[in-house]
Amino acid sequence: MRRSVCGLTAAASVGSINHPFGSNRRQMKRLTKFVPGAVSVLFILWFAETPAAPQTPGARPAASTPRRTVAGKPDLNGIWQVLNTAAWDIQDHSGQLGVPPGQGVVEGNEIPYQPWALAKKAENFAKRITADPTEANCFLPGIPRATYLPFPFQITHTPDNVAISYEFAHALRTIPLEGGKHIEGLPSWMGESRGRWEGNTLVVDVGNFNDETWFDRAGNFHSDQLHVVERYTLTDPEHILYEATIEDPKVFTRPWKMSMPLYRLVDNHPKLLEYECVYYLQEERFKDAPFKK
Amino acid sequence: MRIKLFRVRSSVAVVIAAAWLAALAPAHGQRPAASAAKWTPDRTPDGQPDMQGIYNRSGVGGLDPGALEAQGHRPENPIDPSENNPLSVSNRPDGLANVDRGFGEAGSGARQRGPRRPGGIVDPPNKILPWKPEEDAKRRDFLLHTNPAAGLRYVETDARCALPGLFLGGGPYQFLQPPGAVVILSEYSHFTRVIHLDGRPHLGKNLRLFLGDSVGHWEGNTLVVDTTNYNGLTAYSREIPYLSDALRTVERFTITDAKTIDYEVTIDDPKLFTKTWKVAGVYSKTENLTDLLEYACAEGSQTLVNIFGEPPGK
Repeated sequence: MRRSVCGLTAAASVGSINHPFGSNRRQMKRLTKFVPGAVSVLFILWFAETPAAPQTPGARPAASTPRRTVAGKPDLNGIWQVLNTAAWDIQDHSGQLGVPPGQGVVEGNEIPYQPWALAKKAENFAKRITADPTEANCFLPGIPRATYLPFPFQITHTPDNVAISYEFAHALRTIPLEGGKHIEGLPSWMGESRGRWEGNTLVVDVGNFNDETWFDRAGNFHSDQLHVVERYTLTDPEHILYEATIEDPKVFTRPWKMSMPLYRLVDNHPKLLEYECVYYLQEERFKDAPFKK
Repeated sequence: MRIKLFRVRSSVAVVIAAAWLAALAPAHGQRPAASAAKWTPDRTPDGQPDMQGIYNRSGVGGLDPGALEAQGHRPENPIDPSENNPLSVSNRPDGLANVDRGFGEAGSGARQRGPRRPGGIVDPPNKILPWKPEEDAKRRDFLLHTNPAAGLRYVETDARCALPGLFLGGGPYQFLQPPGAVVILSEYSHFTRVIHLDGRPHLGKNLRLFLGDSVGHWEGNTLVVDTTNYNGLTAYSREIPYLSDALRTVERFTITDAKTIDYEVTIDDPKLFTKTWKVAGVYSKTENLTDLLEYACAEGSQTLVNIFGEPPGK
């Protein structure tokens, strides 16, 4: 049943043994663990939601009452995007050639690095032009960086599931609601997401990260111990307050937090398009191929 | 070494899965054909027939060797069946030969469970595609440059970790139905198709997409999806290694029972073919998956370096 996926993963890893990131080894590991595991998981649990009672006529909702789905939850369906410069640097930064200035999104503006990690961040910054996994190499951006890249993303929201599709590199996350615990030992680029509602807030617990992604183009980074808790709160029909708490005991001395508004695209018939970073990069790098070996 | 070990383990899993499915098969297989027509799917809150779930796809290979042989003839190389074809991209010596032949070439239509359904090319019935003669000549010439690849354009898009061709990939796919849309998420190549049902027009003709621009509507229990604005940079399958930007597809997803969506796609590509043709397959709901996993590809791939060498200046 999963042969096709496995087969192509095997193909993609052919010859990648020397790849510095060695990510395919991890893919293989997670798939080999998953396949037998998946077979043993026989049931999909469907949590039927009770439709909300119709509102009493005359009880006009307050301005902050979110638009709701039939299932009674705030309606996150739509295309969203940030209006900030966190993609370049999540902390306060002045303008430079090609870098728009911006106030940071980190609470208190301080990232509590352990001493070794602060040195590593400075090293990342120095070589960011070629080493940034996302901008220089078009790799999957990870969480929370996918949220504040300068590209829109689409939230699909049903009673049982949330999915977030990002225009950048067609990155995709599925977020089962009430979907149980994280699977052990399956590190990935975008992490593994589990969602739940706390009142009007969608809370997404994201674990199972690898250590390959950065938080921004300034070289802020994490380890494979990263754990992110995201909170999506619809503050009015066109805005979401996005908060992410970052925890990584290997890299930071304490958890820290970032927050920013997300803006709904309200254009006529907005549509998520394609930014095929990998394809464009290959067209540039391999346009004169074949090369002499 | 790792790959080999992995394959052994996955084979064990496949056997277990097959045994489990076989245990379920009788009930599914013996259902009278007439019941399909009587199936009434649930409705989503906005009134759509409910097709949500996680599915695998089979039959949409573009090629079904079994059916060809059953007809007692082998058409004159209509789509370059791989096993005996030295031009096939699968028989190349450059590392891609390890690609699992689950896609297209080996006829994934041969591995359906439940009642046999039409798969592969269903129109024309003789499965010979209506190539324009000059385009067929170009295609044969193209295939001569794929082994080894003479340049970047001769490498299949899925080997490049780009968005895949129309008939590549077998799932799993997750179907979600928010109000006013059907959203299809694919684990393979981690892409999303958002099919809006609000009657909006297609994008302007200068805005081109790898996956095209899809709009849809329901006809009874059939979701009809009209897709244009293809950029012409992907492919149909390994045997038909490209498509044109004039392509228009009309897909019909018909819910036939709680676990099955019959699929048919009409290909209208007037730059390459003299008339339209159709491919059919089936989406089968799988209940042993609760979630899609991450399919990272470009993040570890050295495929192009293996084929072409390291680009200068790197």
